[in-house]
Amino acid sequence: MSTTSEKPTSASFTALRGQLHEAAAEFAGGQDALEGILLGMVDDVDRAVAEPLEIFPVCHHSPASALAMARRLREKQPRVVYLELCEDMAPLLTELRNCRLPVAVQAFASEIDGFPPDWAPLSVVAPITEASAEYQAVAYALDTPGVELVLVDRSSDHVFQWDTRQPADGATHTADTEAEPTAAGTAEPEAALHGEAVGVEIGDLRPRFAELEEHLLRHGKVRHWSEWWHQYVEVPLGDSDHDTYRQVMFLIGSLFRRLAPGRGERVRVDEDRERYMWTRMREHLAATGTDPADCLYVCGAFHAASRVDEFGVHGTGGFAISPRTATTWQYGLIPSSNAAIEAQFGLASGSVSIASTEWAKNLKRTRVKPYRLEGQSGTKKPSARKTAAKAPVATPTPVPASDLAAGPASAPAEDRLTGFLQQPPVLNTLDEAELLGWSVDIVRAARRSGYLASTADAIAVFETSILLAALRDRAKPTPYDFQDAAVTCIEKDTVPGRRDVRRLVEIMMGGDRVGQVGYDALPPLARDVHDRLAPLELNLQQRGVRRALLDMASRPELRACSDVLWMLRRLLPPGAARTVMGERRLGERSIQESWDLSLGTHQRALIELGYEGVSLEQVLEQRLRRTAYGPQATTAEVLAAVEDATLHLGGRRLADELGARALEVLAGERTVDGAPAVLRRVRGLLAYYRTSEPVLPPWIESFVRAGYAHYCTLLPTAFRDEDATVGQVAAMLGFLFSMESLALSLGCDRTQLELAVAQSHPNDPAKTALLWAAQVQLGTLSRGELRGRCDELLGNPLVVPSYPRYLSGFVHALEPVPGLADVVVEAVSNAFGRLPDPVLLPWLPTLITTLRSNAADLAPLLIREAGRIFPARLAALDTWVPPWHAQPVAQASPAVPAPRGAALLPRHPETCDAVADLLGRTDGWAPADGPTGPTGAALLFGHRATCDAVADLLGCGDPWTPLVPALPASSLTTRHPATAHAVAALLATP
Amino acid sequence: MSDLLRAPAEIKYAEELDWLESIDDNPKPFSWRLSPKMVRLFILGSERADGLDREVTQKWFGDRSFVERSIVTLASDRGLLLIGDPGTGKSWLAELLSAAISRNSTQVVQGTAGTTEDHIKYSWNVSMVIAKGQSRESMIPSPIMTAMETGTIGRFEELTRSTSDVQDALISILSEKYISVPELDSAGGENIVFAQPGFSVIATANSRDRGVNDLSSALKRRFNFVRIPVVTNKKSEAEIVRFRTEELLRRHSIELDVPPTLLDVLLQSFADLRASAAAAGSDDEKLESALSTAEQIGVLEDAVLHSDFFGERALTARALAASLVGTLARREPEDLAILNKYLHGVVEPRGKEQGGSWPEFLEGGREAIAKLA
Repeated sequence: MSTTSEKPTSASFTALRGQLHEAAAEFAGGQDALEGILLGMVDDVDRAVAEPLEIFPVCHHSPASALAMARRLREKQPRVVYLELCEDMAPLLTELRNCRLPVAVQAFASEIDGFPPDWAPLSVVAPITEASAEYQAVAYALDTPGVELVLVDRSSDHVFQWDTRQPADGATHTADTEAEPTAAGTAEPEAALHGEAVGVEIGDLRPRFAELEEHLLRHGKVRHWSEWWHQYVEVPLGDSDHDTYRQVMFLIGSLFRRLAPGRGERVRVDEDRERYMWTRMREHLAATGTDPADCLYVCGAFHAASRVDEFGVHGTGGFAISPRTATTWQYGLIPSSNAAIEAQFGLASGSVSIASTEWAKNLKRTRVKPYRLEGQSGTKKPSARKTAAKAPVATPTPVPASDLAAGPASAPAEDRLTGFLQQPPVLNTLDEAELLGWSVDIVRAARRSGYLASTADAIAVFETSILLAALRDRAKPTPYDFQDAAVTCIEKDTVPGRRDVRRLVEIMMGGDRVGQVGYDALPPLARDVHDRLAPLELNLQQRGVRRALLDMASRPELRACSDVLWMLRRLLPPGAARTVMGERRLGERSIQESWDLSLGTHQRALIELGYEGVSLEQVLEQRLRRTAYGPQATTAEVLAAVEDATLHLGGRRLADELGARALEVLAGERTVDGAPAVLRRVRGLLAYYRTSEPVLPPWIESFVRAGYAHYCTLLPTAFRDEDATVGQVAAMLGFLFSMESLALSLGCDRTQLELAVAQSHPNDPAKTALLWAAQVQLGTLSRGELRGRCDELLGNPLVVPSYPRYLSGFVHALEPVPGLADVVVEAVSNAFGRLPDPVLLPWLPTLITTLRSNAADLAPLLIREAGRIFPARLAALDTWVPPWHAQPVAQASPAVPAPRGAALLPRHPETCDAVADLLGRTDGWAPADGPTGPTGAALLFGHRATCDAVADLLGCGDPWTPLVPALPASSLTTRHPATAHAVAALLATP
Repeated sequence: MSDLLRAPAEIKYAEELDWLESIDDNPKPFSWRLSPKMVRLFILGSERADGLDREVTQKWFGDRSFVERSIVTLASDRGLLLIGDPGTGKSWLAELLSAAISRNSTQVVQGTAGTTEDHIKYSWNVSMVIAKGQSRESMIPSPIMTAMETGTIGRFEELTRSTSDVQDALISILSEKYISVPELDSAGGENIVFAQPGFSVIATANSRDRGVNDLSSALKRRFNFVRIPVVTNKKSEAEIVRFRTEELLRRHSIELDVPPTLLDVLLQSFADLRASAAAAGSDDEKLESALSTAEQIGVLEDAVLHSDFFGERALTARALAASLVGTLARREPEDLAILNKYLHGVVEPRGKEQGGSWPEFLEGGREAIAKLA
C-alpha cells in the first residue's frame, strides 16, 4: 500500500496547482486567503483521492450520484460498504424491500433519560428514495452474498447528544445536520408526513453561508439551489467517468467546507461525525481484517473533504466515542413523500420529483442496470426479476488491487479536474418533442383545474420556455424555466381551482410520490391492527378513505373489529378512524356501525403507536395511566380515563385502579373548576354501574362519600369566591343533592350539608338565588317564602336591575333542585310581566345565551314545565290566569268537611264488605253507635272480628279489654302496647 | 441629465442606453433596440462578473424572474399585464421596459372612467376634416396606434379603471394587430393601419381595483399576467428607498443626509404596520394605505423636504414621525386610532428598550397626532 495519505502533495495535481497559483496572484495580488483556499481545495482533493480506503462522495437526491454509484458498484464489487447513516438504524434496512419508496427510517424515543424532559418525544428520520446513491449501496450490499453493509455514522442518540440547542431555548430547533423543519408552512398535507422529527440525510451538500448560495444562484441565473446543482453539476458530470466524478465531488465538498465560516458549533459537530465515522471504520477493519482496498466508503461530499486528524485508514485514533444515554430507542419505517423530504430539508418544491424523473431517464439513456432490493415492492415486477437474475453474477470475486481500473491506492490518481474545469459549459440540446409534450400536458392539466387554457396557450408556453431559457443562457429549458413560462402564460389574476399553475407543473413533472411501508415491515402493533381488522375485507394499507359497514347483528364476529376501531379512534389523530354512524357510550353499543377509515394515509401515526407497545390495549392502558398519574391530572380527567377504560378495555381491573386514583386527586383538589365535569362523569358512571354490575365498585362508593364531604367543605368558599362561576357552584350542589341518598346510606351526615349551606353567604345575586334554591331543597325555606322574596325583589326599584341575575341563578338551580321548575317558570314569567323594558330588553340576549351555553340540558326541563303551566292555545290565553295568581281564589272557596274514617264505611258498604271478606270476616254489620258516627276505637269495638284479624296480622294475641266510652285515641295505644310497638317498628323500617 | 422636472427613462438614461446598444452583440428580436439580455442588464444592473467596462445601476428592485418573464412576454405574441398593489413599481418597470426596448416610454394611454375608444384607436382633427376631408393627415392617431405604426411598445396605465367596452377595443389590436379606419377609402390600403414588428402593449392594473371593471376572458387570454408583489424583504426595500430618495434629492438639488438609523426606523415602522394590517380582522382595524414601498418613499421625501425648507436642514426622527402620521392618517378616527395604538403599544416600549432615535420618533408622532386630532 502506498502511503500517499501522509504526503498530501502528490505529483498529479502540480499543473493545476500552478494554474491556481497564478490565478490567485492575478486576482488577489499575491499570497493571501484566496490562494490558501484555492490550493487548499486541491490539497483536499488530493488527500481524499489518495486515501487507500476508497471514498465515494455523494450528494443527496442526485441522479448523477446514483448513476455513478451503480456503475462503480458493478465495476468494483466491494466486499464491505461503509455508509454514512446512523449506525443503530442498520437492522431496518432490509425491511426496505417490503416498502414502496420513499420511506423514512425512524428512530423514536418517547421516554427519555439523559436529555432535557421537554425535548420528548425524540424522533430522527432518514428518508430514502429510490433515485439516491445510498439506496444503490444498500441494495447492492444487502442482496449480494458475502457483502457486508456497515453503517458508521453516530447513533440517533448522539444526534441529540450533540444537539447544539440550548436546553432553555426550546424554540430554536437547530439539529446539526439540516435546515430547520418547514413542514408546518406548506399547504400540501403530504409535506407534513415526517411530523416533528429531526431529519438526517446522507450527502447533505449545500453552501453553508447564505451569501455564497446567493452568489451562485445569481450567476447561475437560477432560483433554487436544486436548480443550480442540476445545471452546473448534474448535467456537466453527466456521463463522466468515475475518477472525474470523484474529483469533482471532492472539489465541491471542499469548496463549501472552506467557504463556511459559519457557526463553530455546527463545524464542530461535522468534524466530530467524521472522527466518529473513521474511528468506527478503523475498528471494523481491525476486527475483521478486511483489506481496505475491498471496501467502499459512501459519504456526503462535504465529509469526504475532511481535514480532521482521524481521517483515513492511517489516521490517528484518539477519538473517544461517548456512551449512549439510557434513553430507550424504538426503530421503524414510516412512509415518506417527496414533498415531505423537500419541506424537511429546505429543497425547492418539486426537486425530488424532478430528480427521480431524471434518474429514470438517465437509466434508460445510459442502460446502466441499477441495483434494486429483491422483491422491492412498488416497482414493476419484470425489472425486479431481471435485476434479481443478474444479482448472482455480481458475486464479488477478489480482484487483485492492481487490476482495478482506478484503484485509488494502486497508482497516483490522474488529474481529471483540470479538464473538467476547463471544459466549456455543456449545452444540452433542445429536446423539442419533450418540451412540446410538456406544453400540451400542462394546458390539459390547467384546463382540468378550471383554467381557461387553450391550444394557443400551449404554443405560447412552448415559445416562452425557449425564450426564457435563451435569456438564461441555456439552450434547453429546464423544468424550472418551463414552470416559469407556464405561470406567465396561463396564470391570470385569480386561481380558479384548488391548485395554481406552479403546483400543476410540479405534479406534472412527476408529482409527489408518497411512500408506503409494507405489511412485513410494520411494527407488531400495526400488524396486529391489520390482522384484527381483516374481517372487514378492506384494503386498509392503501391511502385514501375506506368505508366500513359493520352489521354486528348479523355478523357477531365483527364486534371485535368494532372494539379495535373504537380504540383506534381514541388513539389516532382525528380523521384516521371516523364514525359515520354508531356510537359507544357507557352501557351502550350500536348493533350497526359505519366508519370512514384512512389508516393508509395515517400510517405514520399507526407506526408511531407501535413504538409504545405491542397491542392497542397495552398502549391505551399506558396512555390512560399516564393521564391519570400525570402531575397536572384533574379529577374530571381521571374520571374520563376511568370511563375510557370501562368503554374500551372492559373488565374492572384498570377502571378500579384509576377510580382509586380519582379519589386521591379529588382529595388534593382545592378548586371547584372541574365540578360540572366531575358531576357529569360520576353520574354517568354510577348509572352504568347500577345497571350493569351487581354491586357498586368500592371506589365509587368511597368517591361519593369523599365527594360529599369534599364539596360540603368547599361550598361556603365557593359561594363567596368570585372566580367560581354559578355553574360550578350549581354543579357542586347537584353532586351533593343527587348523591345525597347514596352518601347518607354510606355513612355521611346530612348535618354537614345543612351547616355548609348555613355558612354560605354569597354576594353575587345569581349565587344568592342558588342558595335560596338549596335552602328550599333542604327545607329551611318554604316555597311561599321564596315567592315572597322574588316579589320583593321585583317590587323594590333599587334592586330591580339585578333581578335578571337572580333569574340566571334560578335557571342554574334547576340542576341541583329540578323540583323547583315551576317556581323558576313563575319567576321568569314575572320578570317578563313586571320588569321595566330598559332592564328587560338588554337582559334578553343574556338569558338566551345563558340558556344555550350553560344550561342546554336544563332548558328542556324549563320548557316542559312552562308548557304544562301555560295554555296550549292562543285563544285560551285571554282568559288564562296564572296558577300563582289563581291560588288564593282556590283557597278562598269554603272547605267542605269531608266525611272521614268510620263515616265513610257505612256510605260505601260494598267496599267495606269486600275488605271484610278479604280479611275473612263475615260477621255482618253492627249498628253504628251515636249520631255523629263511630270514632276510631268505637269502630274497632263494633267490628271486633276485623280488629282481631288486624291484631293477628300484627302478631298481637292480647285479649280484649272492656270498652270505656269516649276514650281518647291515645289511650288506644296504651291499651294495645304491642300493636303500637309493631306499628312503630313497621314505620321505622325504610 | 436634462432640465425636465421628471425626465422619462429613455432621456434620463439615454447615454447608458446608447452605450449598451453599442456593445450589444446578441441577437435582437424584431425592431428592438437592445437584446433581451441587455434589457435585463439595463433594468437589474450589472455585476462585476458581467465583465462590462462600466457599471450599470440597478433601476428596478425585485425578483429577477419577474423581469425575465416580462421581457420574454414582450418578445412573444402577447401583451404584458403587470398586476399588483399600488406602489409596487409596476409603472416604473413598464417605463423601463419600453425605454430599453423601443427608446420611447411616453406612448401612454391613461385608463380612467372617461377613457373612450378614441383614446385607444384614433380621433379626428375636426378643423382639418372640414378643410380637407377625412384623410390620414387629418387623423389623430392614439399612442397605441403610433406604437403600432412604429413597431414600438405602447403602454396602457391602469387598464382596469377604464370601462369594459373600451378595454375590449384592445382585443382586436392584440390579436389581429391592425386597426381599421372605416372612414377612409379602401383604395391603397389607407383604411387599415397594420402593426409593425416589435409592437406590443404593456398594461398595468391595480389588484385593489379588482371587480371594478373586470377584464373579459377574451382580453385576459391576450395578456400574460405578471404579478408584482409588495416588497417585504427588508434589505431590498432599504435599497429601493435609498435609491429613490437619492434621485429625489438630486432632482430638488437638496444637500441633506439621510442617516441610516432613520432609514431603519422608517423601514421598521412600515414593517410593524404591515404586520398589524395582516393581523387585522376588519378594514376598520387596518390603515387605509397599502403601506407600499412607494409610500415609504413618499414619507421620506416629505420629511426631507419639510426639514430642508422649514427645519434645521437636517433630517430628524421627529420630522420623520410627523410625516409618517401625516401621510398615513387618511380617515379621521380610524387611522389616527391605529397610529396612536402603534405609537404607544410598539414604539414606546421599543424606545425604552433600545433608545436610539425611537424616543424622538415617538415624541414627533405624538405631536403630529395631537395636531390632527
